[in-house]
Amino acid sequence: MFRPIVLPLLGLALTAAVAAAPASAASTASPWCQSGKPVKVAGLNWESGELLTELLKTVLEQGYGCRVELVPSTTITIEHALAQNDIQVVAEEWVGRSEIWNKAAAAGKVKGVGRVIVGASEGWYVPEYVVKGDAARKIRPVAPQLASVRDLPSYKQLFRDSEEPAKGRFLNCPSGWSCEGVNSQKLKAYGLTDSYVNFRTGSGAALDAAIASAYQRGQPVLFYYWAPTALMGKYRFVRLAEPAYNEACFATLTDRNHPKPCGSAAPEALIQTGVSRAFHDADPVLMGFLTRFNVPLPLLNAALAEMVERKDTPAEQARRFMTAHPEVWRDWVPQDVAERLGARR
Amino acid sequence: MAFFATFDLREPINRAVETLVERHGDRLHALNDLLLQGLLLPLERVLRQAPPWLVLLAVLLLAWRATGRWRVAATLTVACYLIGCFGLWDALMQTLALVLVATALAVLLGLPLGIAIAHSRRLRAVVLPVLDVMQTLPTFVYLIPAVMLFGLGKVPAILATVVYAICPLVRLTDLGLRQVDPEVQEAARSFGTTRWQLLLGVQLPLAWPSILAGVNQTVMMALAMVVVASMIGARGLGEEVLAGIQTLDVGRGLQAGLAIVLLAVVIDRVTQGFGRGRRPDGEPGARP
Repeated sequence: MFRPIVLPLLGLALTAAVAAAPASAASTASPWCQSGKPVKVAGLNWESGELLTELLKTVLEQGYGCRVELVPSTTITIEHALAQNDIQVVAEEWVGRSEIWNKAAAAGKVKGVGRVIVGASEGWYVPEYVVKGDAARKIRPVAPQLASVRDLPSYKQLFRDSEEPAKGRFLNCPSGWSCEGVNSQKLKAYGLTDSYVNFRTGSGAALDAAIASAYQRGQPVLFYYWAPTALMGKYRFVRLAEPAYNEACFATLTDRNHPKPCGSAAPEALIQTGVSRAFHDADPVLMGFLTRFNVPLPLLNAALAEMVERKDTPAEQARRFMTAHPEVWRDWVPQDVAERLGARR
Repeated sequence: MAFFATFDLREPINRAVETLVERHGDRLHALNDLLLQGLLLPLERVLRQAPPWLVLLAVLLLAWRATGRWRVAATLTVACYLIGCFGLWDALMQTLALVLVATALAVLLGLPLGIAIAHSRRLRAVVLPVLDVMQTLPTFVYLIPAVMLFGLGKVPAILATVVYAICPLVRLTDLGLRQVDPEVQEAARSFGTTRWQLLLGVQLPLAWPSILAGVNQTVMMALAMVVVASMIGARGLGEEVLAGIQTLDVGRGLQAGLAIVLLAVVIDRVTQGFGRGRRPDGEPGARP
């Protein structure tokens, strides 16, 4: 099994190696698409995944003339399907975070290419007004001293759980997500099991709704979250300090049965585009595009916030992005493909 | 140029929900706490803290009382015991508390509504289409706004369950009351009964089997909502199913799913048993 620390290094090496290759090498016709086979792309169900998938689809269709089919499903089913080559591409894969991916990668059935997002973050957050207040909304700071997870026990009344009012409520990931296990272990490691309820939110939509509702009402809320996301772009959150990343400790957190976990922030995530082995080996041309496929994080956060603000579909937002940021996608593809893409704008 | 006129509900609805959350969210969250502390949590505590043998004994007696046959009662009790063997007893009790409260609320609201529409043709013309909407609108569509208004967990889950599960009870109460033999009602009236006496003494008893069939269907639909309810953080068997699905742990998901089926069978047999037992002529479906 891969250790999370090894993967970012591997990824960097890979990116560097490919970036060194000339951009317009050899032919720019995709062998996979020329053979008439459709490229099946995972339909991801979170915002950044949706937008990146649409961007990827646009480039494949308009730049390389591929036939693209979106196959919507849940993460774990997608990873299975990728390992079987039932689908060929996952636009945004958090490498090393799921057992299924790790096993498939170790067996050589799937590969991560490029670094589609660099600098993603995750952790425990509270709205900014909880710490600093918000004069414009007449919210006074209720926990000005709150800075670290260590401070949480004294604030349990602030984040009161309605089902167990003696404790605070920590909004965890839905059961079954890998972050749910890590956060449950963190509650143990930070000595919070007596003062906080480990509330699993059941679905990503419910987690978002609970956070958005609290934010709109100006109420305190403590939750796990991650960027890039639309909520991160739309609202102002403060991340609570955690002990620095430590490989040995993080291993006790990812093992959900470890009796004595020790605290550690998450390592920086390696986020790549996942491809099936068959697709990877059959199509060096598209691999050339995917290894360079990347949206800088600030741009991505802004695009996601705009998408949610305007309530646009990911496809509409992708179209707007392609028009507004040719400098970004021109880097992904060789000259002639860029010309074709440009002609469609 | 376009054949379709532009008609967009999204913005107004989004704005309405946002305003609702900002203006009344805090009050509704308080109501949520009240329902939790006053009704659901005490019941759940009793069920979860009661020794399992006591609960099983209660199931045995209830099932015997309902069906009148020891062998059926014993089988149903074994089914509950089996759920405990799966290691799901605690989850079962949480789910049971949820279903019981949802059903109680559905009966409390659905029975009067059913009686009302049985007596007013105009009201029925309004209510029946609304019931259609409640039954067909995808649950998640109103579940997420419910989370924003009431907070995560059991209360919005129960509200959504009531919305979905109340429909058969209203329909079958209405149907049962309207099928009461007009000649019987005529006879009762000729003895000078008041409207209330007619309702309580004649119409409701005669419609009873139909009403209990409605209650039975309501419980079944409430159970079907258990998994959906777990998607907004309501604990219980649904959470097990969800966790099983999301980690592709097919065995865990199926086992918890099987537990839901077993619970459904038990509740179904018990409520059907009561329905049958109360039939005026003692035989199912023998009335003309």
